[in-house]
Amino acid sequence: MTATPNYDDEFDAIVVGAGLSGTAAALTMAKDGLDVVMLERGPSPGSKNVFGGVLYTPRIRELTDLSDAPKERYVAKKTYSMLSDAGDETSMSIAPAAWREEPHNDSWMVLRRDFDEWFADQAVEAGATLITETTVTDLIREDGTVVGVETDRPNGTLRAPVVVLGEGANSLVSEGAGLKRQDDRDNVAVSAKEVRKYDREKLEDRFHLDGEAGLAAHYFGDGAVGDAVGGAFLYTNKRTVSIGVVYSIEDAAHGERTPDEVLDQFKQHPAVAPLVRGGRMVEYSAHAIPEGGPDSMPDLVHDGAVIVGDAAGLVLNSGIHLEGTNMAVESGFHAGQAIADALDRGRSDAAALESYEQRLEESYVVQNLDHYGWFMDTAAEEKEFLFEELPHALGDATEEYFRMDDRPKDEHVSDAKSHILNASGGWFGMAKKAWKFRKMLS
Amino acid sequence: MDNGWNIVVCVKQVPDADDVSIDPDTGRLNRSDAEAVLNSPDYNAIEAALSLREAGGGTVTALTMGPPTAGEVLQVAVGMGADDGVLLTDRAFGGSDTWPTSLALARAAEELDADVVLGGEETTDSSTGQVPPGIAAHNGWAQLTYVEELEARPEEDRLVARRDVEGGYERVAAELPVVVAMGFGENTPRTADLHRKIYAETEFEPTEWDASDLGVEDEVGMAASPTQVGGMATADPVPREQSMVDSADELAEKIGEVR
Repeated sequence: MTATPNYDDEFDAIVVGAGLSGTAAALTMAKDGLDVVMLERGPSPGSKNVFGGVLYTPRIRELTDLSDAPKERYVAKKTYSMLSDAGDETSMSIAPAAWREEPHNDSWMVLRRDFDEWFADQAVEAGATLITETTVTDLIREDGTVVGVETDRPNGTLRAPVVVLGEGANSLVSEGAGLKRQDDRDNVAVSAKEVRKYDREKLEDRFHLDGEAGLAAHYFGDGAVGDAVGGAFLYTNKRTVSIGVVYSIEDAAHGERTPDEVLDQFKQHPAVAPLVRGGRMVEYSAHAIPEGGPDSMPDLVHDGAVIVGDAAGLVLNSGIHLEGTNMAVESGFHAGQAIADALDRGRSDAAALESYEQRLEESYVVQNLDHYGWFMDTAAEEKEFLFEELPHALGDATEEYFRMDDRPKDEHVSDAKSHILNASGGWFGMAKKAWKFRKMLS
Repeated sequence: MDNGWNIVVCVKQVPDADDVSIDPDTGRLNRSDAEAVLNSPDYNAIEAALSLREAGGGTVTALTMGPPTAGEVLQVAVGMGADDGVLLTDRAFGGSDTWPTSLALARAAEELDADVVLGGEETTDSSTGQVPPGIAAHNGWAQLTYVEELEARPEEDRLVARRDVEGGYERVAAELPVVVAMGFGENTPRTADLHRKIYAETEFEPTEWDASDLGVEDEVGMAASPTQVGGMATADPVPREQSMVDSADELAEKIGEVR
């Protein structure tokens, strides 16, 4: 056979996983002139990835030209709906005019299979190397320092000064190598999602969309995910709709229904059924989401390695804000910069890579995680109120408020108030709850 | 020949069959979502070529015809262990059916001084199985089709094959040069070595030949292709009766009824 070169230490960095965080790191380093290789287990980047559907793009737009990216629709409208299992819907709809203008608040519905492949291509165009169908199975460590990776291929070890671990929520390599401990079960959410295909015109008529405008709809309450802490979503793509449920794996383990049954139930809610009627299912997926917040973040920096994206637990769920992919990109970007700086000084030890953690702490990523860290715990504490009593009370209250009968309106208002007050435990209980959730909008 | 055989393995880039669907509304084949991949029976041909080299020495050259992007399937072959790759690419080849395609491949195999030419038994995107016999016919070489297993006999300048035939198998010996069509799934294709894969996808450059390099510029393309497509029809799926049974006994009874 013609000679095969040995690539040990031919690359400055190995990126494990060509998802959004890994690719952002690779792109950042490649633009800085480093030789980077991305090792991706799927047949193409994105083929193994699952997320709800909205990607926030400020950093990506800075890193590369987003205009040719395979985007589906921008978020022109967001809705938040409380659903009760009795069929009530109480919702709020937000559609600022500014969202219709470029850059559309940097909020785009995308399909990961298309987008991640495109994003990885940008890294390749900047000089990075992408190797697919190659699963990293372990890290090579010498005297505690990560010096390379082991893959599932013959002659499958590869050494490089720095390894970037962007392997996603199911971070078996980082855990196996002792760089992070396995997530606690109550810090992990489970998601089931399906993508349904419709005639484009029909879809735009159904959701009142024109051009590239799209809808991001969020649902809470026992009409969305039953007796569990979580929520449901519906996002419109160009010709498809992504529908899914997300709730704590603890509830999934103890619940009577499987995630696909919870999703089916959600799709049958009277507020949702007409929106997803017809069409053809083209994709079905399930995924784990690390929602442990700031307390469950592992050490991000090690001798010869850094952890980015979902593997680092960088997901925000504040009830109002549901973010993860933008934080993945941000972490990859800061990691890439820190690695470039460290290698510039001929170093790859944890102390030299420490600036990654510092940059991330100063960025919105950790700031937001810290700010909203309380939410998931409080939501779990107040599960019955938030996910059962409130949706029903809101349904009853609005029904009462708008009731058409022979009584005067002030009686209806008073009855409506009492529905809410009853659910909240009177004025005192309501004040307590208001205090508890005051930070949600701040 | 002291340096071992010149082994040429023909490969083809095809749309990934898993991603090709028939649009239920229009009845048309939808290939737009499909990734371009190596034709799966060709993995068996590459594996057989590499095994032959291991048994008797020599070199393995992967050969393909297609647009410039078809070079990707040569990378797969080189990643698995092929020594080199040749890409036949020219607008003149566009629209060629199996006749001019096998002619171009036959000329290239001659140019490479091939002792053994291998290919997969057929491609997943056209399923004619005509190209390996076509190469043999154009060059007047021996052919071994639907091969399950090969045995190199370099000292006799012969290749022995176990062939799949109806009701069993036969063993046939062929004089070199010989064209082999490997049966799908007859061996276990090896996984590319990590460093070889990186080499194949980053540094390896295939040799490129056009129609005039092979002297076939007037004998390829649509005009030189005798195939005429008379029409296309889709077949409706046969309705199948379904029923649920509660026990194995009941199932056995049902099966008995059908028999």
